[in-house]
Amino acid sequence: MRNGPYVVTFLTGALIVSFFFIPHHRAQEAQSVILDWSNVVYAFALILGSVTLWAGHQRKVATRAPGWAYSVVTLASLAFVTIWGVAQGVEEGTAVNAFYNSVNSPLASTMFALLAFFIASAAFRAFRARNTEATLLLVTAIVMMIGRVSVGEFIWPGFPKLTEWLLDVPNLAAKRAVAMGVGLGAVSTALRIILGIDRTYLGRS
Amino acid sequence: MNPQLDTRLFEPARLNLLIGLALFVLFLVVNIARARGGAAMFIRPMAGLKAVEEAIGRATEMGRPVLYVPGLGDMSEGGTLASITILSRVARRTAEMGCDLEVPGYDPVATTMMEGAARQAYVEAGRGDSFRAGSVHYVSAQQFAYVAAVTGYMLRERPAANIFMGSFYAESLFLAETGNLTGAIQIAGTDQVTQLPFFVCACDYALLGEELYAASAYLGREPIQLATIAAQDWAKGLAAGIVIVASILTALGHPEVGRLLQTR
Amino acid sequence: MNILRLDRRVIFVLIALATALPLLFPVNLPISVSPRVKAAYDTVDRLPAGSYVLVSLDYEPDIMAELQPMSIAVLRHCFRKGLKPVVLTLYPAAPGLIERALDVASKAEGKKRNEDFVFLGYKSGNQSVILGLGESIRTMFPTDFWGTPLEQIPMMRGHNSYADFPLVINLTGSSIADYYIRIAATRYRRPLVLGATAVMTSDYYPYLSSGQVQGLIGGMKGAAEYERQMGLFGDARRGMDAQSLVHVVIVLLVIVGNVALFLSGGMRGGASGGTGGGTGGGIRRP
Repeated sequence: MRNGPYVVTFLTGALIVSFFFIPHHRAQEAQSVILDWSNVVYAFALILGSVTLWAGHQRKVATRAPGWAYSVVTLASLAFVTIWGVAQGVEEGTAVNAFYNSVNSPLASTMFALLAFFIASAAFRAFRARNTEATLLLVTAIVMMIGRVSVGEFIWPGFPKLTEWLLDVPNLAAKRAVAMGVGLGAVSTALRIILGIDRTYLGRS
Repeated sequence: MNPQLDTRLFEPARLNLLIGLALFVLFLVVNIARARGGAAMFIRPMAGLKAVEEAIGRATEMGRPVLYVPGLGDMSEGGTLASITILSRVARRTAEMGCDLEVPGYDPVATTMMEGAARQAYVEAGRGDSFRAGSVHYVSAQQFAYVAAVTGYMLRERPAANIFMGSFYAESLFLAETGNLTGAIQIAGTDQVTQLPFFVCACDYALLGEELYAASAYLGREPIQLATIAAQDWAKGLAAGIVIVASILTALGHPEVGRLLQTR
Repeated sequence: MNILRLDRRVIFVLIALATALPLLFPVNLPISVSPRVKAAYDTVDRLPAGSYVLVSLDYEPDIMAELQPMSIAVLRHCFRKGLKPVVLTLYPAAPGLIERALDVASKAEGKKRNEDFVFLGYKSGNQSVILGLGESIRTMFPTDFWGTPLEQIPMMRGHNSYADFPLVINLTGSSIADYYIRIAATRYRRPLVLGATAVMTSDYYPYLSSGQVQGLIGGMKGAAEYERQMGLFGDARRGMDAQSLVHVVIVLLVIVGNVALFLSGGMRGGASGGTGGGTGGGIRRP
């Protein structure tokens, strides 16, 4: 019983790997079914997540922990979206859809837009010519930033070609090398999990 | 061939991948045998991982928590699995040092796994009672909602150490810059190649790509785990050798070896 | 004032001004079209009128600034060429954006829903959906976004899998593009054009050089180049003025910071700290 999860992990992992090499339509159908199962599991996991979220914030409200008012907002939003979504649906014209379009979407876009400010402050702090590598990074970053926008062509017509070369040659070479290493690392990690060498993900050493 | 009518039991165009996988498993078996036989497994020092100890020590002295951000991947991603393993090591260390640990989770399933791993680490350190319920908690499965929650925590609680390990996307710079604002020591590792530059620029230490996968073996120093890293290195050496030979031969007008590496 | 310790808020204000001013007072800087975007454009342009194109638009509001103008430009191109785009999405929050994009593009080119284009809507599953499109679109999407069964849409008759689409276009801000490369382009051998956010674009250069992807549109710049190729002046070209000025401001800030560092003698030595972090440097405090 204790070894049950390892057996399931091994069998499922070995099956999915073998399906990659077996083009038989039954194998591909089986793979599709397993992928659908993972979507179903994920859907239930969202319920688990919502329950955990509710419990955590409810505890904060009950104990009047610092910032408990925000937990009230979280709980109210969770309740509203869940109850109204189930009752009315989430199509165009429903309250949940309107809430998503007028609150959630602009908030997400705003957060993403804040990155522009963080990039500027990070660049100001990090791009300092303290040594050879840092100077190389600094020069490359300046060339890329100027070359990738319309102003670059304006300053010097060769900027776009230079940036394309930087992207196509050194950048691509380094990315391919890192990607190969990451790929092999991912295979190694996957094999460790499938073969039961690494068990910490199940809370066991 | 129309996949609906395909009745073949093997795709010949993927033979090269099968051979590669078989070789990798062979390297794994050989190195595990070497490890069991007592062979010393060398792993080069990684400054970022050495700094994890320092960071936890610093947090303990300052009486401030350690924030561990496990990334935005789900359980199907290698980065998340690696992150859970690293978390168990970090949790063990924070348990031993009596330091508070905060782990905001993105994926509900991964968060449950992480809570189990962290709790087990505390038990193994003999500090099962010190594990704070709610220290590993689910936040949101929406990228920027998660980021808002984590950065809010950083600004309010001012953790002394931020450890970012896992799969990160557009939010990486957000997290690293906010952490920098609070003066925390920051150690990051991600398998997402596009986010590496942001972490390198904004964090004190960065693990690049596959170093994230090696981190759990490095921190635990268990011979079998180190053997898997050795197997990975053998596979990388073989791949590099084949690429060099294929590139030279292709440049000399013989692309056959290069074509052997193609697949469908 | 110590420039090296310049308050972040000063930087934020400069960036805010650099973003807002060009949007309020457009400059219309010239844009040249890169070979990658030209390749994407030519791939669509080469298709004869009446060809079907499977268009997967997978992005959410946070990255719509880069991908929405791209979608509109590509859809307008398809409509102008008389192509028949069948549009779908794998992102739950995308349908509203796609509806808007289709509305703008179809009205501009005088096209009608279910006669000139079909919008299948959203389906969860990512990889399993992309795999399923190779067998039966109707199994994945029994109806279109508005609930009309696909059997009742004349445009969809005889078009039920990748085999019936001479081109697949995927515009996305996530790793969904990897699935389309693996499945649509490699397994089903469909020509594939990709559009991605600027940060992700360089991840797909290897596929472009290996021929697995026929064209690549990267970020707002790529969208602006596509608009330029189409002779349009849309949101992407408008946004490039702001992006250009922001980049110039960042470069100037970096130069000022380095001049200040040089004048303060901080460039001598530099054994610690590196770029401000890195893989092997000592602990650095701002």
